[in-house]
Amino acid sequence: MPNLNINGRNMSVEAAGDTPLLWVIREQLQMTGTKFGCGAGLCGACTIHVNGEAVRSCQTPVSEAVGKKITTIEGLSAKSDHPLQKAWILEQVPQCGYCQSGQIMQAASLLSKNSNPTKEEVVAHMDGNLCRCMTYSRIQKAILRAAADMRTASNAGTERRPT
Amino acid sequence: MNTHVKKISGEPADLSRRSFLVGTAAAGLALGYSAVPGLLGADQALAAPAKFDPSVWYSIGSDGLVTVTCGKADMGQHIASTMAQIVSEELGSSWKDMRVQLASNDPKFNDPVLGAQITGGSWSTMMNFDAMSRAGAAGRIALTQAAATIMGVPAGELVVRDSTVSHPKSKKSMSFADIVKSGKITKTFTPDELKAIKLKTPDQYTMVGVSVPQLDIPPKSNGTAKYGIDVNLPGMVYGAVVTPPVRFGATVKSVDDSAAKKVPGFIKAVTLDDKTGSTTGWVVAVANTYANAKKAAGALKVAYDGGPNAKLSSESLLEEAKRLQKLDDSGQFFVKDGDTAAAFGTAAKVLEAEYTTSINIHAPLEPMNATAEFKGDILNIYSGNQFATRSGAIAAGAAGIDPKFVVMHQMWLGGGFGRRLDADMMVPAVQAAKAVGKPVKVIYSRENDMTMDYSRPLTFQKVKAGLDGDGKLIALNHDVVSAWPTQRWGIPDFLSPSVDKKGPLDAFTVNGADFFYSVPNHNVRAIKNEMAHNATPSGQLRSVAPGWTFWAVESMIDELAHAAGKDPAEYRISLLDGKGKNDGGAQRLRSTLLAAMGMAGYGTVKLPKGEGMGVACVSSQERATASWTACVAHVAVSPSGEVKVKKLTVATDVGMQVHPDNIRAQVEGAALWGLSLAMYEKATLKDGGIEQTNFDTYTPLRMSQMPEVAVNVIANGEKPTGVGEPAVTVIAPALGNAIFNACGARVRALPITAEAVKASMKA
Repeated sequence: MPNLNINGRNMSVEAAGDTPLLWVIREQLQMTGTKFGCGAGLCGACTIHVNGEAVRSCQTPVSEAVGKKITTIEGLSAKSDHPLQKAWILEQVPQCGYCQSGQIMQAASLLSKNSNPTKEEVVAHMDGNLCRCMTYSRIQKAILRAAADMRTASNAGTERRPT
Repeated sequence: MNTHVKKISGEPADLSRRSFLVGTAAAGLALGYSAVPGLLGADQALAAPAKFDPSVWYSIGSDGLVTVTCGKADMGQHIASTMAQIVSEELGSSWKDMRVQLASNDPKFNDPVLGAQITGGSWSTMMNFDAMSRAGAAGRIALTQAAATIMGVPAGELVVRDSTVSHPKSKKSMSFADIVKSGKITKTFTPDELKAIKLKTPDQYTMVGVSVPQLDIPPKSNGTAKYGIDVNLPGMVYGAVVTPPVRFGATVKSVDDSAAKKVPGFIKAVTLDDKTGSTTGWVVAVANTYANAKKAAGALKVAYDGGPNAKLSSESLLEEAKRLQKLDDSGQFFVKDGDTAAAFGTAAKVLEAEYTTSINIHAPLEPMNATAEFKGDILNIYSGNQFATRSGAIAAGAAGIDPKFVVMHQMWLGGGFGRRLDADMMVPAVQAAKAVGKPVKVIYSRENDMTMDYSRPLTFQKVKAGLDGDGKLIALNHDVVSAWPTQRWGIPDFLSPSVDKKGPLDAFTVNGADFFYSVPNHNVRAIKNEMAHNATPSGQLRSVAPGWTFWAVESMIDELAHAAGKDPAEYRISLLDGKGKNDGGAQRLRSTLLAAMGMAGYGTVKLPKGEGMGVACVSSQERATASWTACVAHVAVSPSGEVKVKKLTVATDVGMQVHPDNIRAQVEGAALWGLSLAMYEKATLKDGGIEQTNFDTYTPLRMSQMPEVAVNVIANGEKPTGVGEPAVTVIAPALGNAIFNACGARVRALPITAEAVKASMKA
C-alpha cells in the first residue's frame, strides 16, 4: 500500500505500483482537477508537480511518486489565488477549461524557476500542452501577467523588509 | 432552407403555446416557461414521472441569488453565462448575484425555437435572446408589482437596478431578496401578455454589450468545474472499451476473457448488443478501477468479422465520390437558378476545378465518457452532451426502456465541437451498468476516441464556372459529394426539401454553397457518398458544411478573378451587388470584407518576394443565420513549399454583441481551428479503420504554430448572430489564396502540405 505525500498531506492508497498516478489521484483521492487527455504524455492535461517539476501524471507510475512531494491543481494555492490563477481569471483564459489545470501547473513550474520569461520561453515551455479551444494567446498573456505580478509582489516584499 | 431555421426569420420566437409562470416556490421565486412539445419523444417525456426536477428557467432565492438554468450545452462558448447575462439585463439584477446551473433533459428546458435540447449551429444566442429577455422582463415586472404593493406606491414610479427595487420619491427601496422573502409574488403571464412586454431598446442596455466576468471561469481555473469524466457515484465501477480495427460494420465473433480474469478487480466483459446502431463490434471491460478496466481491456482477446467496410480506404472513398459526381442523375439540387447549361454555351471562358478535404477528427480534450446508473425505474445518465433530446433516446434504446424514464444530467463539456451531439458513449455505459448491476462510468481511451470519432467526412467538390467576355461570372455548377452527417440522425425536421423534388437532402453538407454572390445561372448539387456514409459515419464538426463548401467556392472565386485579370477582393465586391435575393446580406458581407482589407493593409502594404495576402469572405453558418465574416491571410512561402502563416486578420459582422470579449475569444479560437484544419489535421482510412490514434499522428495546432490573429467585430444593431463557428470556414480559402499570391501555387486539397505547394509551384 503506497504512501503518497500529496498537497502537503500523507495519504495511503491501494494500487499496484505500475498504476498511473493520474488515476490514483482522480479516483481514489477524488481530486478530479487533474485531467485525463491522451494517456501518452502528448497533451499535458494531466500535468502535476513532483518535487516541483511538472510531470505528466498519466506517464508516472505511482511507485515512482512514493516519498516525493506531489502537488496538484487543488494544492497549488490555498484559496485558488496563485498569481497564475488570478491572471487566468483576469485574462478570461478558459473556454471549455478542460486543459487549464494542466496549463496552469505547467506554467507554474516555469515561473517558479524563471520569474521573467520571454514570450519565446513561454512558448517553448508550454508547447507540450494542447488546448483544443485554442486559447493559446490568452494563456501566454496570463503567464506574462502573472510573472509581472509575482515580480512586483516580491519587489514590494523586499522593500518592506526592515533593514 | 432547413425547416428548423426558417422559424427564426422574422419576429420574436413563437411563444404562443407557452405561458410564463411566476410563483413563490419553496426555495424562492421560480420563473419559467411551461413546456412545449418538441421533437423526438419529447411529447411522451412530458408525461414523465414527477421524478424529473421541477424545472424552471431561473429562480431567485431568498438570499437574492438568481440562478439561471441553461438548457444549452456549455462546451467553452460560455453560453450559460451568456444566458444569465441576457436574463440579468431585463431583470435588473446585479451581475454578482447571478449563478448558473446546467439543465437536465426535461423538455421544459428545450430550445424555444428548436423545440428540442440541442446545441450547435452557432444558434444559441440568436434563438434564445428574445425568450431569455422576456423571461428576465417578466421577473422584473412581477418583482416590481409586489414591491409596489408592499411599499404602497405606484409600480410605475419604481426603478429596478442592481437587484434592488427603489422608489426615488419616497427613497424607499427593497432588495430582490426582501421581496422574495415577503412571499407576495404571484403572477402568471399569458402568452399574449408575455408577447406584449416591451423589451429594452439597445440604447437602454446596461448588461448586454458588457464583457462581464464569465461565471464558469473561476471553477475552470482551480480544478473544481465538474465534467462528465469527473462524476463519482456510490458503488460505481469503471468500463474501458475495446473497439474493433474497423470504424464501422464489424461484429464480434468471440471474446476470450481468460487473461482478463487474472487482472485484479476485473468484473466482467460485456459485448454490446447495440440496436441503436451507434456502435458495432464493441466490448466493455468492467473493473473496480479504470486502471484495472484498461488492463483487462488490454487482456481481452476479441475475434472480429470485419464486415463490409473492412477493405475501404480514403482512396476508395475519394474514388467513389469522383464516380458519383460524374453521373448526371446523382444527388439532389440544393440550388437551381437559371440555366447553367445554356450559359456555359455562351461563355467566353470556362474553368473547372476539384477541391477535396480529408477526414477530420473532433478530438475534444476530454475523451468521450458517460456514467449510467439504474435507480428504480429511472436510468440516470451523467455525461456532457450537446443533444440531450436525442442522446436520452439513444440511452433508452440501449437499455430497452422508454425514453421517458431517462434522466440526463448535464455536465460541463471538456470540448464539444459537434462531437457531443452524438450518443455512442451512452451505449457501453448503459449496457455495462445493466450487465453488472452497478453504476458504471465508461471512459474512452484517446485511441478509442480518435478511431471511433463521428468525423468530418472526406469531401470531394467539383466546380465549373463560366465567364463572359468581360470576365463576369455568368454560370456556376457546384457538386458536393460527402457522407451525410445529419441524415444519419434520422430526424426529418433536420433535412431540407430538394429544389428538384427528388426527396430531402442534408443541407448540412451544402450550406454555404448558396452564397450571396449574384450569379444568374447557378446549380448546387448535394450528392451522398453512400460508401463514405457507411464506412465513416460522419458527424457535425465545428462549422460543418461551410467548412468545406467555402473552401471550394472561395478558392474558385479567386481562380476566376485571376482568370479575368482582376484583383480577387475587387472581384468579390463586384459580385456582392446585393441584387434580388442577395439584398441585405451581400452588402453586409461586402462591408465586412472591406473592413478586413483595411485592417490588414490589403493592397496598400508592399510585401517582399515570397509573401502574399489572400482574401476570403463567407456567410456561414447558413443563409438564414449568417455571421458575415472575412479574412485576409498573410503568408510567406519558402522555395521548398513550406508555408509560414504570418497573420490572420478576421472581421465579422455579428449584428449585436452580448459579450464583446467572448466574441473575440470565440472568433480567435474559431480562426485557429480553421488554420489547424487547413494545415495540421488529417485523418486517413485504411482497411476500414482510422489510422491516427493519438496526438502524435493527429496533430492539432500547438502554441508554437500560432500566428498573429487580429479580430475586428462589427456590431451594427442588427439581431445577434453566432460566433462559435463562422470564422473556422474563412481561413482555409484565405490561406490558399494567399499562397497563390505569394508563389503562384494553387492548392486544392486540405490540409495544405509543403509537398502540394511545391508541386503546384513547378506545374
